[in-house]
Order: sequence, then C-alpha cells, then structure tokens
Amino acid sequence: MMKKTSGAWRTAVLVSASILGTLLLLSGFVYAVRDVLYPASSLAGLPAAPDAAERAGRETVSLDVTALGDSLAKGTGDDTGSGFARRVVDLLTKQGAKSKLVNNLGINGLTTKELLPMLEEPGVQYALKQAGVILLSIGANDLFDDGQQLETRTEIPTEKELEKAIEGASTNLVKIVKRLHEINPEAQLVYIGLYNPFSDMEQLKEAGDDAVARWNAVAMEAMASLKGGRVAPTADLFTLRAPSYLSGDHFHPNGTGYQAIAERIVQGIAIP
Amino acid sequence: MNKSLMISLIQNEMIKMIQKKRFYVVLLVLLVLVPIFAYAQMKQAEDKIEKYGSDWRREVQQAITDNQNSLGSDRVPEEWKKYRQIYIQQLKYYLEHDVNPAQPGGVSFTREFLDNASSLFIPLLIMGIGSDIVSSERTSGTIKVLLTRPVRRWKILLSKLITLMMFVSLIVLSTFVICYLISGLFFGYRGFDAPVFTGFQLSGSDVDVSAVHAVPQWKYLFMQAGLVWFVGVTVAVLAFMVSVLVRSTAASIVIMMASLIAGSILSNMASSWASAKYLFMVNLGLTNYLAGTPAPIEGMTLGFSLAVLGLWAAASLVVSFLVFTKQDILH
Repeated sequence: MMKKTSGAWRTAVLVSASILGTLLLLSGFVYAVRDVLYPASSLAGLPAAPDAAERAGRETVSLDVTALGDSLAKGTGDDTGSGFARRVVDLLTKQGAKSKLVNNLGINGLTTKELLPMLEEPGVQYALKQAGVILLSIGANDLFDDGQQLETRTEIPTEKELEKAIEGASTNLVKIVKRLHEINPEAQLVYIGLYNPFSDMEQLKEAGDDAVARWNAVAMEAMASLKGGRVAPTADLFTLRAPSYLSGDHFHPNGTGYQAIAERIVQGIAIP
Repeated sequence: MNKSLMISLIQNEMIKMIQKKRFYVVLLVLLVLVPIFAYAQMKQAEDKIEKYGSDWRREVQQAITDNQNSLGSDRVPEEWKKYRQIYIQQLKYYLEHDVNPAQPGGVSFTREFLDNASSLFIPLLIMGIGSDIVSSERTSGTIKVLLTRPVRRWKILLSKLITLMMFVSLIVLSTFVICYLISGLFFGYRGFDAPVFTGFQLSGSDVDVSAVHAVPQWKYLFMQAGLVWFVGVTVAVLAFMVSVLVRSTAASIVIMMASLIAGSILSNMASSWASAKYLFMVNLGLTNYLAGTPAPIEGMTLGFSLAVLGLWAAASLVVSFLVFTKQDILH
C-alpha cells in the first residue's frame, strides 16, 4: 500500500516536471530559432567597457616582456620554442629581476605593412601596455622575402628592388616605432637589428651584407629619436659564426643563436 | 472517455519506464561523468592561471597570434585555416568589446559542455531510453498482453511516443541542472548575466559581425536548451522507429549507436562530400549556429538543419505507425 502511493507520487512528479519542462524547452527552441534567423543586432545589455587605461592596470614599471613582429620574434628555428623573448625573460630572472613574458605576438612572415594595422587591435595594445620591455623584430620579410617562399628563392633582389624595399619599409618602421611609443611611453623599446642570413652562402653574402647594413642604419635612426628606444645589433654575431648560430633552414637562428641575441638584448636593458 | 483512455495508457507507460530504471541510469551516468569533465576542466584552468594569472585578455590575444601563425603554414589543411580564420575574427570581436569569451564559472562550463554534448553525448543518453521502448516488449513477450486488450494499436504506440517525449525533456533538463550544480562546486555558481555574443554570420572564411548581439548567459542557455531538445526529439523519434522495426533490443541499440557515431566521424571529414549534409546525424550540432561555429559542410544553415531533422523525424513517425499497425506481432 505504502509502496504504491510513493510510486504514484513519483509518477506524478515526473509527469508534471516533464510537461513543464517540455513547455520550457519548446519556448527556448522557438526563441533560439527566431534569434538565429532574425537576429536583432544590438549590443545593449553589454556592461560598459572599462576605460582602456584602467583595464591595463599596471602596478609598477616592470620588466615584463612583450615580443612583437616576425618569425624571429616568434622564435622560429628554436627547437625549444623559446625564441629570444622567453630567453630574455629567463636571463632577466637569473639576474634577480622580476620578469615574465606577457605575450609573444610574433607571426611568421610578417612585414612592416602588416604590422601597422595590428597595432590598432585592442588585444595587441593591451599586451603592449602590460609590458615594461617591448622587443620588436620586423623588416627582414620586407627586404628578403617579398612574398616569396624562402626555400624557393634562387636569387636575392637586385640593387634597385632593394632600394625600393628599404625605402617603403623604413617609412613604415618609423610609423610603427612612433605608434608603439604612443601606446606605451614608459616601456623600454628594443629593436632587434637585422643580420645577414646569407652570410654562409658565397654568392649572396655581399649583397645581403649591404642590404642589412643599410637597413640597420635606418632602424638606428628611427630608434634614436625615441626616448627609451634602442637597437640591439645582431649582424656582427652572425658574420663569422653563422653555421653554428643558424638553424637548418639557413635563415632563422637556432637555439644557440637566439641565446646570443637574447644576451645582447639583456645587456642593454635598464634594470631598476 | 477517449481522452482518459489515452491518459491511462500514458500513465501505464510512465510506470513501466520508471520500473525499468533507465532514467535513473541516465542520471547516474551524468552524476559520474560530469564531475570527471569538470575536474579535467579545472586542471586545465589551473594550468592557464599559472601561465596567465587571471589575465584573460593576454590569453585570448595569444590564442589569436598562435592561430594567425598556423595560417601561414602550408601544412595546415585549407579547411582548418577557414575554421581558424573564423575563430580569430570572433576572438578579436570579444577583445574589441572587452568581453571574456570564457568567463570562468559553472554557467560557462554548462554552456560549453552542452555545446560539445549536443551532437553525441545527449543523443546517446536519449537513445538508451528510446531504443527499446517497443522492442523490449517483444523481447519480454509482454507485447502480446498489450495488444490483446481492446485498444487500437496506434493508440498504444502513441502513448509510448508521448512518454518517450516526456523523458526526452526530462533528460535534457536534468543534464543542464546536474551540469550546473556539479560544475558549480568546482567553478562557483556565478555567471548567469555574463554576456555572450551570438549572431556571427559566416560565409566562407569571413565573419559578418553586423548581426552580432550580446545576450546574457542565462538567455543563451535557454536557447541552447531549446535547440538541444529539438535534437533530442529527433533522435528519440528515430530510435523509436528502429525499435519498432527491429525485434531485438540489442540490435536496435547497436543500429542507433552506430549511426550516431558515424555522424560524428562524418562531421569531421564530410566537407568534401557535400550530399552528406542530408544525413540526419551530420545535422545534430544545432548549437553551432548559436555559437557561430562553422557547420561541417558548406551551405548548412539553421533552417536547413531543422528541415533535414524535421523530415527525418516525420518520415520515421510515418514508418513507425504504418509498420506497427500492420505488423504481425504474434509470431
């Protein structure tokens, strides 16, 4: 008798729950279909975005690192994946400074032209504002790649082509550096100088050296105008030691190469 | 008179269903599995916190950069690149509006879990109840008792169908509730009013954001539940048909299970076989349209998927009733 009543109870509960549930789910379904098929575009109900300055919320002037730019910034060729960005953080930490990697925003194959619009993205700006040290590596793809795959490249650009590439890229670089400084005026901005990736190839060495020297002069000039900006030269590192510093693709550094670059960068960082 | 007959038939089916304890098995499965998923998710979250602190913006930006990097690689199939391009644009949209796409909390966990569960996990649970609703009577021989009563056969079948639909609702609802209650233990019970973006219009690898709007997460869950429910109803009706057609319970479970799993495999590789989009099992991811995740095959839209599912469901209902009323049961 008892059992029967409790069974009936259970049935009643399940039945009413399922009827109510079905109605609820059905209305959810209708609502969803309407919302997907006839979306009412409105951003109402969105909490007001906090002020950009407020959300950056940096506590102190830190040595936190954000790397930005091309495959070198990303660390392509480094089997450990660290690149110079993470190695810089490690070196700074080893010296007793407090540092972490905010973001590594390096993208393979990036050119100065592609980097400019990136600087207007809120996520990129956020990462830059969080940093006390900004590492910038850009320009190599403007000069040497020019939309071509490195592996299939047979000759480096002619004198004239190079001249034009340097000219265009240098205007962009000046703009990039200015914009970076606007976004985060307090950060130490380090531009990683170009090296000649072809220094171990007889027929390309000379033309490459020439282009790199000219480009680095341009970069030096752009950075000189900036408070807190400097160039970390790398060309000399690779002049004689390219075989042991370059990775298998004969273009990007290997782990040892990145370590050497990182040491260069850290040597010039002001540690408060 | 007629009405009360139907109600007592349904009541009878309800009692049978409860006695079979299948629904409790479903609840038990949820109670065991959800904590496992929640725990795994929590471990992952802890790992992220170690790397990014509570700074979701950096994490999202890094996700954008990593995906951008993979776009440049020739080793990544074009199909994936399309997905990643869409993903990048959506993440950028979130950053532009300073909204965390993965607000930690029990509500977000439930939302993500349901997105993943809607095309395989929940259909499997529903199938577990639906696949033997008719065939079990045959296996146990009770169908003869049932059919010797002076009740018309279609009424018996209808009462079973209605009971099944009731349990579909119960399963979908309990999945949501259990998910929320358990994941709340891990992540806290907050997040009902956190904004979620919906309305991304996809065409190829482009995302049109003109129709994007923010909805509070509770409303999103409400819509999601509705869509999951529709998927559940379709799967239930199909399982129902199989259980009418096939005499053995084991066989009907295998048939349904195989087609559901085939669906999840096909969705991952069907992009080059466009006519696969007319199969019901490829269309089970209705919540994708809400989230703005690309559909497995080009040209699929919510309207299309609803039509496909609706047609399959309608056809299986017709088949079920025709066969059941004409079938020679007693042999």
